[in-house]
Amino acid sequence: MPDTLTTPDAGTTEATTAPLELSLQGALNLALDEILAENPKALVLGEDVGTLGGVFRVTSGLAAKHGSERVFDTPLAESGILGMSIGLAMAGFHPIPEVQFDGFAYPAVNQIVCQLARMNYRSRGTLPMPVTLRVPSFGGIRAPEHHGESLEALFAHVPGLKVVSPSDPQQGYSLLRAAARMADPVIFMEPKSRYWQKGQVTPEGGAPSSKLSGARIARPGRHLTLVAWGAMVARCLQVAELAAEDGIDVEVLDLRWLKPIDGDALAASVGKTRRAVVVHEAPRTSGLGAEVAQVITERCFGTLKAPVERVTGFDVPYPSGDLEDEYIPNIDRILFGIQRVLEYKRG
Amino acid sequence: MAEIPFPLPDLGEGLIEATVLEWLVAEGDQVERNQPLVEVETTKSALELPSPQSGKVLKVHGAPGDVIKVGDPLVVFEVPDDTAGIVGTVPREEAPKRRVRLSANLDDD
Repeated sequence: MPDTLTTPDAGTTEATTAPLELSLQGALNLALDEILAENPKALVLGEDVGTLGGVFRVTSGLAAKHGSERVFDTPLAESGILGMSIGLAMAGFHPIPEVQFDGFAYPAVNQIVCQLARMNYRSRGTLPMPVTLRVPSFGGIRAPEHHGESLEALFAHVPGLKVVSPSDPQQGYSLLRAAARMADPVIFMEPKSRYWQKGQVTPEGGAPSSKLSGARIARPGRHLTLVAWGAMVARCLQVAELAAEDGIDVEVLDLRWLKPIDGDALAASVGKTRRAVVVHEAPRTSGLGAEVAQVITERCFGTLKAPVERVTGFDVPYPSGDLEDEYIPNIDRILFGIQRVLEYKRG
Repeated sequence: MAEIPFPLPDLGEGLIEATVLEWLVAEGDQVERNQPLVEVETTKSALELPSPQSGKVLKVHGAPGDVIKVGDPLVVFEVPDDTAGIVGTVPREEAPKRRVRLSANLDDD
């Protein structure tokens, strides 16, 4: 996989539209609305995305505005949703399918891994797959089984796929616009516990508004880098504020793209702070935190003050709502991880 | 606000309709999930139907004695746009709480 995105960055362009106060739901809805308006090949499909407007209201109003031929409900069959999207892409469309919840992606894994990810390679570039698969992801809403899973490592391991997760409304808007412009299939993991969080969103106004490839620094700091994505970015920003009370200046790096991983951004940040903690909701073993830790180690081994620490979910199936707060890394577990790194002694 | 219809569900064993006995909620009422909405009678038994969700009761269909067919409208709920149809609950934003304090010697940084 090339390490750069197929869409060139426009650099930091002056925004031409005033900022809007939007929830993540609203920001994603705006992005889809603009994509459908600008790109006549774009289609939105999935369970309840049409008439209902999506269980999280992300596709609300799009069928009425853009027509039920371009925004349409599918049967309850995720393999069919992906199979249809692959066929539509072969016919020249740019489908934006939704799998309603992370745990419902499993029935579609065969289509995603064996067809979607490979078609461009198999056809020697004659059948690109410009498909953006939206997956409401991660936990935090007290939902039943199959509604709180973190599949980033599963998809990041598959050659041919890109994986991205936004952390706030602006990132949601901008990264969805960016993903939909790509010629490669993108797994777009929306942090469902952050859907209702509001923030300022500056629309593109016709031109990509900022650097959209790679990671971004969500909060600069000197002593230690917290690496996170999706819903964990907001929690790490809270932790950074608390750490500041104790005189520890924490940098928060929002990884954004989970495949390809932005090694340069990790090296620049940890090269400066010399300490790193990776935080994710997914189970620890073979989680993406292991990959991030290894990239940091390869790039920063000589200057690291301590081994890269991981604060993660546990190696168990995602628990029911009552136990969710015990599973997802909380503030104290992240602070403990930071403390372990701070007090590490060699030898 | 979004309107969510609740049609008379399939009550099982090949039943195709039910008779409204008594409404336990009125239009305009705010109801919680699993709160009894209406007592209906089928050819097998009388039973209370629990609400499939929380929301405001916008409209009830059928007066006591009326027969409703399975799949026909029974109740229409009104719910805020940002919670319509959600599985799970909207997380509360809480002020961060901590028990762990950090200490470090950063002299050589």
